[in-house]
Amino acid sequence: MTATEFALRTDGVGKRYRKGWALRDCTLALPAGGVIALVGPNGAGKTTLLRLVVGLLAPSTGTVEVLGHDVTASTPQTLSRVGFLAQDHPLYKRFTVAEMLRFGRACNLRFDQGLAERRLAKLGIPLDRRAGTLSGGQQAQVALALALAKRPDLLVLDEPVASLDPLARHEFLQVLMGAVAEDGVTVLFSSHVVHELERVCDHLVVLNHGRVTLTGDIDTLLAEHRLLVGPRTATDLDRAGTVVEAVHSDRHTTLLVRDGAIPAAPGWQAQPVALEDLVLAYLRRPSGPSAAVTSGVAA
Amino acid sequence: MFVFRLDTHSGVPPYLQLVQQVRQAVLLGFLQPGDRLPLIREVVEDLAINPNTVAKAYRQMEQENLVTGRPGQGTFVNEQQSAAMSASTYTSLRRGLATWLRRAYAAGLDEQAVDALFTSVHQQTRNEDVA
Amino acid sequence: MTWLIWRQHRTEVCVLGLLVGMFGVALLVLGTQAHDLFPGGPARCAGEAGNEACAASFRRLDEEYGYVENLLAVFYLVPVVIGAFLGAPLLARELEDGTWQLAWTQAVPRMRWLAAKLAALAGVTVALTGMFTAVLTWFRQPFDAWEGRFQYDAFDVEGLVPMAYALFAFGVATAAGAILRRSLPAFGVAFGAFLAARMPVALLARPAYATPLTTMEPVPVGGSKDQAGHHPAPSSADWLIEHGYADATGRRLGSTEYYELEGAADRAGTNLNQFLHARGIQQFGVYHPADRFWTFQLIEAALFVAVAAVLIGVVVWRVRRRMI
Repeated sequence: MTATEFALRTDGVGKRYRKGWALRDCTLALPAGGVIALVGPNGAGKTTLLRLVVGLLAPSTGTVEVLGHDVTASTPQTLSRVGFLAQDHPLYKRFTVAEMLRFGRACNLRFDQGLAERRLAKLGIPLDRRAGTLSGGQQAQVALALALAKRPDLLVLDEPVASLDPLARHEFLQVLMGAVAEDGVTVLFSSHVVHELERVCDHLVVLNHGRVTLTGDIDTLLAEHRLLVGPRTATDLDRAGTVVEAVHSDRHTTLLVRDGAIPAAPGWQAQPVALEDLVLAYLRRPSGPSAAVTSGVAA
Repeated sequence: MFVFRLDTHSGVPPYLQLVQQVRQAVLLGFLQPGDRLPLIREVVEDLAINPNTVAKAYRQMEQENLVTGRPGQGTFVNEQQSAAMSASTYTSLRRGLATWLRRAYAAGLDEQAVDALFTSVHQQTRNEDVA
Repeated sequence: MTWLIWRQHRTEVCVLGLLVGMFGVALLVLGTQAHDLFPGGPARCAGEAGNEACAASFRRLDEEYGYVENLLAVFYLVPVVIGAFLGAPLLARELEDGTWQLAWTQAVPRMRWLAAKLAALAGVTVALTGMFTAVLTWFRQPFDAWEGRFQYDAFDVEGLVPMAYALFAFGVATAAGAILRRSLPAFGVAFGAFLAARMPVALLARPAYATPLTTMEPVPVGGSKDQAGHHPAPSSADWLIEHGYADATGRRLGSTEYYELEGAADRAGTNLNQFLHARGIQQFGVYHPADRFWTFQLIEAALFVAVAAVLIGVVVWRVRRRMI
């Protein structure tokens, strides 16, 4: 792969605040095209990583390369290729929606005002309303329309649906996924909710305690992991691969393994694992420098 | 126009759900040969689902010869050579399952036990197929 | 960018513009009447308090407009309000509302964004303060003719220093806003910082901008005690820093020494002035002459502008290093 086929490449990226490290040893290579989910609990360092990606923060260690360019050398050209939707989708609350669009036009090299107006009209959001008086869902849609009108190659969203009610969430994802289908924009979004990830993303990055614990293409990850259920055992099973998580009940043991075949011992069954369970298992793991697991794209 | 649904609690991967729905609809005659499936973008905007997932489902259906994509026109349901399942086969299978269920309830199994038994056997046979 | 800056800050600019405009109109009306007290223009009466016509004019000025002058003494804070009001929200409001993430992820690089904002708002600060100062300086012409321009109520509101005060407040407010991430506290910090800086500057630093001149002359024989106490600086427009008595060798007398002399004169039953004159006691005055006004204005303005520049430099550095 050439450098430009990566939407994002980070090498040994760390970010240190006064309180300590928010992100450490983050090395990622995420392919362009498709939808990438950045998953982790609150405080895992997701926002920090995303702000590094869009150049709002500078890394304390390592380098961040977005669409083949070092992100700290932000020029109008590189900036206009990346769209960002911050958490709680901030807008200038006293601006009308039309003024928000004018802001977008004034501050960008290319800005498809017609596209934004069509999207907002379709959603029934009036242009003469002040942004601050719109509902949360509508504000999110305005922010999204603004970001998409830049026609970015990479769209980064920080917890885009966390604050939205179920209906607004669905509508937001409809527009977002529609944009992926229509423009082929690469989407990188963070979420602390693991539910419903599978329907929206192709690629997964799990972040816990400031470290990447799992990254890979979802299909590959699901194919590589299995749930092994069998009689309770204290000893390590041979040929069980890397045990990600072991849960013991009185009589039987459930193992989540990676690259593991069914144990030769009798009574064992292998089952595919659901994405949600896979992610939760990795989030429950104690994190350490060697915990990162990479799949799919060679890092 | 055919409408897809998505059950996020089923544990079945989304792309597979789409394939199964078309397969089932063809089986039951809800989709006739020559019917056009919705465009990928339409499915995406309807379900708020990743376009690659839909594309993957459509690819799989094409590989299974269930449908044919015609560039610029859309994706159309094929004539099913095997005629998949005749109405009589369908009725007979359905009747067999109903008989089995009645036996299970007569043996004292409740609804959940029936589900568990079915899932377990289903999974086992599927794994045997895989292996 | 121009439209954006105007759209974001038009409320502050309009409010301040309106206030300055209202002050301006009020001062123009009052000032025209005050100027009319001086048929030949107030400049002709400068230092001419002894002239009978001028003295009459000054007396009426004091009676009729003295209260305005006293009110205006508080107005040295207006430039600070202007600067702080424009500087505080520059970054703090973006940080408060999270919109910095919106502003800096468009195609305008953050340094260009910051440069445009700083230039525009600092420009408005200087322009508004300049208009305010121009009107105030004109209004004070009659008073300045009488009292000189070195008094605190003149020096601090005329010439260049108000603009420097305003830029100082602008710089402090911008920097505080960047660090505190809140507009209102940033405004408060700017205000407090100015008050804290202004006192030591006016009382300690300002007299030391240049070496003051000293006059020394023998106590005149005639005249009453009142006249003896009259300081010997050449004109009332000069800035008298210190005055007192010295002995024949020029050594300055402490207050106890002076009171001893006064007591001795009393006991001897002689006129104090004659008593002092006979002993070669001299009067001295330490002062800055009136023509140092612009030099002092330049020095003080440079001082405050330099601090503002350093603070703006800190802001630029923080934004460039992506610390905010």
